Amino acid sequence: MSGDNLIGLGVLLAFLGLLIFFLILENRRPAVFRPIRGYEALKSAIERAVEAGERVHLSLGTGSVIGTDSAPAYAGLVLLKSIASTTTLSDKPVVATTGDGAMAILAQDTLRSAYAEAGGEERYQASSGRMIGPTPWSYVANLPILIPSEDISVHVLAGSFGAEGALAADFGERFGCFTLGGTDDAQTQALLYATAEHPLIGEELFAAGAYLDVGPVHKASLRVQDAVRMIVVAGILLGALLRIFGVSL
Amino acid sequence: MAEIRCPMCSAANDETAEVCRECGARLTPLVMDPSGQGMGDEETNEALPGESSAGDDWLERIRSGIGGGEPQGAPEDAPGPPEPDASDAPDWLDELPEASSDDDSGPPSGEIPGWMDEFIAAGEEEAGEGEEVPEWLARIRARQASGETPQEAPTDEGWLDRLREEEGVAEEAEEGPVSEGLEGLAPSPEYEEEPKTDPFSTPVDLGPLSDLPGVPGSPDRALRRSEVLRAQAEVEATDEDLPGDAPQTEGEMPHIPALMERGQQERPVVEIDDVSLDSIELPDWLSELKPEMPPPTPEEAEVQDKGPDLAPATLPSWLEAMRPVDSLRPEIEIEPEEVQAVESAGPLAGLRGVLMAEPVVAMPRTSSVISSQLEITERQYAQAELLHRLVEEEEKDVALPASTGRRLPILRWGISVILLLALFLPGSFERLGFPGFSIPDVVPRETAPLIALIEDIPGDKPSLVVFDFAPGYSGELDTVASPLLKHILDRSVPIVTISTHPSGPPLAERLLREVRPDATLINGAQYLHLGYLSGGPTAVQLFAISPRDAILTGFKLPEGLDRASVWQSPLVKDVEWLSDFGAVIVITAGTETARNWAEQTHPWIGETPLIMVLSAGAEPLVRPYFEAANQQVQGILTGLPSALAYQQLSGQDLTVEARWNGFGSMKFAVESILLAGGIYGAATWFLNRRQQGRGDANG
Amino acid sequence: MRIGGHLLWAATAVATGIIVLLGYFVRLDQIPPGSLFASFFTLRLLLMRYAVLLAAIALFLGLINLVSVHWNKVSDQQAGWPYSAILIVAFFLTLVLGLVFGPDSPVVLLLFNYVQLPVEASLSALLVVSLTLAGFRLISQRRDLISGIFIVTALLVLIGSGPGLIASSGPLYSLFGGLRNWLAQVAAAGGARGVLLGVALGAIVTGMRILMAVDRPYGDR
Repeated sequence: MSGDNLIGLGVLLAFLGLLIFFLILENRRPAVFRPIRGYEALKSAIERAVEAGERVHLSLGTGSVIGTDSAPAYAGLVLLKSIASTTTLSDKPVVATTGDGAMAILAQDTLRSAYAEAGGEERYQASSGRMIGPTPWSYVANLPILIPSEDISVHVLAGSFGAEGALAADFGERFGCFTLGGTDDAQTQALLYATAEHPLIGEELFAAGAYLDVGPVHKASLRVQDAVRMIVVAGILLGALLRIFGVSL
Repeated sequence: MAEIRCPMCSAANDETAEVCRECGARLTPLVMDPSGQGMGDEETNEALPGESSAGDDWLERIRSGIGGGEPQGAPEDAPGPPEPDASDAPDWLDELPEASSDDDSGPPSGEIPGWMDEFIAAGEEEAGEGEEVPEWLARIRARQASGETPQEAPTDEGWLDRLREEEGVAEEAEEGPVSEGLEGLAPSPEYEEEPKTDPFSTPVDLGPLSDLPGVPGSPDRALRRSEVLRAQAEVEATDEDLPGDAPQTEGEMPHIPALMERGQQERPVVEIDDVSLDSIELPDWLSELKPEMPPPTPEEAEVQDKGPDLAPATLPSWLEAMRPVDSLRPEIEIEPEEVQAVESAGPLAGLRGVLMAEPVVAMPRTSSVISSQLEITERQYAQAELLHRLVEEEEKDVALPASTGRRLPILRWGISVILLLALFLPGSFERLGFPGFSIPDVVPRETAPLIALIEDIPGDKPSLVVFDFAPGYSGELDTVASPLLKHILDRSVPIVTISTHPSGPPLAERLLREVRPDATLINGAQYLHLGYLSGGPTAVQLFAISPRDAILTGFKLPEGLDRASVWQSPLVKDVEWLSDFGAVIVITAGTETARNWAEQTHPWIGETPLIMVLSAGAEPLVRPYFEAANQQVQGILTGLPSALAYQQLSGQDLTVEARWNGFGSMKFAVESILLAGGIYGAATWFLNRRQQGRGDANG
Repeated sequence: MRIGGHLLWAATAVATGIIVLLGYFVRLDQIPPGSLFASFFTLRLLLMRYAVLLAAIALFLGLINLVSVHWNKVSDQQAGWPYSAILIVAFFLTLVLGLVFGPDSPVVLLLFNYVQLPVEASLSALLVVSLTLAGFRLISQRRDLISGIFIVTALLVLIGSGPGLIASSGPLYSLFGGLRNWLAQVAAAGGARGVLLGVALGAIVTGMRILMAVDRPYGDR
């Protein structure tokens, strides 16, 4: 095991320790987060959609389950569970789409769990979690059909997207939907900033669980992110100063 | 020192005081009524100056008795009449003690009989114990009493004694024929058909009772019946309480009306209301009373026509303030008897026109001012307002956001038309005399090192080319990657392709055939498609660790090879590790894919150069891998300008130039649209500010 | 038993994740053969291969799900059912051709080159229209500082990337070209790095929540 690997393992263990620490701290001193406009608007939009008998659509992106592009999709699944719990008793429950078969299965499992927890297991339909296109562009090509035919009024993008994510958001805007877009790719985030009504910038997508009150661990994990980010910022500044003064590490 | 209690406010005053020091009410009458009438006028003295009677000692004793003072020489519980002051009393009053027992003659009109003193004394005791009779009933009684008083009563002063004598047979009279004294009264036609044995058939003039609010008009038969019934009930109750020999009237309170009709001011007040009228045998003179009644003078007729004109009582201000205002229904319209409802409950069931069973206080009425004004604090008001607003908010329809998708997308259509024109316009450049966009003279600094790197790739090792992009990006990436692939093929370096996208292998086949369209490109000799690498980034890591262990599908494999034997191809038979390739070239549009290959392969790639052919959008995020001190990417080619520069520097034919004019015209259109948007936005912002400024200036 | 099954799935997922994660920090060439580490590393490779296989199976299951959804839409005559019918017909046609002639046969390549490729390229080209429209709306309607910076930066990069409003040669192009390179390679790259650092932190904690079985995307039952 090389030194780099040991450092990596140590960082992971540090993450775990911080997570437990903040989890304990969360019970004593609950965290207060800055408001994120997209999540606040999402709650209202979902309530409005439920009252209006319209559907919420959550896109888990075109990333696969295995790989680094699965992380935003996992964050999207957390969002899906929260939305599904909210819309359980709606006439038109949430529908989740993805471009990956394995992710579609996970979406179905998540929906089933959410319905069971909300006591509406009989309302679960396997078609609520579906793969609508095996490739990124074929996935996006299905959205202009899906949105009007399913009476979708809330269009949430939470997963891994390439440039096709901008087109996916634009389709939502074109049909007058509330559009919230978040992904892990910085290039796509820039595109979503222009095309989505409510873009999620940076790691805001990974804060979904904390902002939607999914559980204390989500809030603790967000505090871990913030804490480690500050450590990284301090490290970058320190490295830059050392480099300026000619000290090489 | 003796005190006089004010009859108005009960304040104790000196006995010599003429007016109350508290409320200013006169304590002694200004004028002595020579006729002795005006009993009960003390309360209206101020309202009717000059008409007040009294001034007699007996009246003062009554006052003192009402005020709580005990009559001189009278035993505490003795109900006997008070001793009159002989010095001031008239002559006839000196004989009153004897007359009260022996003489039939009663007191003069307007004077209180002796038995009334017993009532006064007893009334104080009852008042102290708490009067159970409601106030409204007391007023009814008082008015009834004043109305029943015969005007000519003084003409027969012995009537009261006769009345007392007749009380003993009151019960007999209930079922007996109409009393003698009433025989002469002419019953109204409406009573003619009723049996005379009906105890309620006796018409009783209620007089001022008709003026009471909430009481049906007078004479009202229903009211008379109910009053008579009440009177009977109270007499019966009194009979139970009083000693058997005591006269029934001795236990009753005198009722002094607070309000009195002007036209009746001079009538003597005689308390008879609590006596069962049915049990009274009126004297003969009473039977003759009505025919002898003088016709009303024109003034009196006018007063009667005008209706009751009541003199206001001299209530003290504090009592006036306490009096509930509008708490009773101000007016009750009395319907004709024919339309009045038939009583359905109680002993009067089946009768029409009777008083309602429910008491007046239970009748529906307008709420009083006092009860309608709830006293609340500011905080309670604010909370109530908040609650009200919350309820209102809940009731409000949530306005749905205006749907923008329903409108005609004119802007979208306009922009699409402009871009289409820009796309097709370069075909007409020559006809329009436009020479086209010039080739850039600035060459990216990474292009020359990349060309040198390709030149250094060993010819005996295959180069791995990863086609990790979707067909949608082929328009850009085919153009960018083709110069580099052509360069490799020109150097006769074998190419092995792979893709983590299912559509990657056909894209690779297509691009290679575009780069080298002639028949010299032989599958299996100069290139080989390993096919689709299933598993995404994980598969990349697996492939980097051990290429031969990766699950590959192969694509358009040459004859003699299949998926299992693909590694037996002469091109890759020497490849065991990733580092055995001469170069790894990744063609991708996604930063994530590029980073995956850079990071997953870095530990295993060794000295083999990693080259990235990228979409222009992915360059900023991949370039750090290229410009880092410890390079993970050794070469980078991105965007159309770089591809054009690559062709220029490597001496290839400028095939990319064919797309240069289209690229330039599209960029021109997009830049113009964005500029127009900026100008439009600035103009509208400026106009809005100006309009807002004008609005502020206009107030 | 439901609870037992639930715990079993969670334990399996957690154990698998930990093994694969720890295996990432081990290099194959540094492991002595026959040791416990070697067995551990072998187990990790085995699990990753299973994952790849399962992903391929999941793709197949996803296609079945895709067809079943559209089949139901056609059966129920739901809105947009003709599109679903076209999709089903195209799906089975391609499947039959691929099974009969193979995925690399000229017939399937013909479908790819003349159907799938143009359609996807057109969608990609459509992105130009969408982004241009979004940029126009952004600068003309949103009108805040960030939007202004966003559009100005995009405009500068566009001008410096090739011919357009200015010619692609001469000192002006050199100026804008240099500005574009600075924006793309310094400002944008630095900002993107910051974004990616945050995303990486988010990805790590998301993965840790799954490893701790706090998030169970595989379901609770």
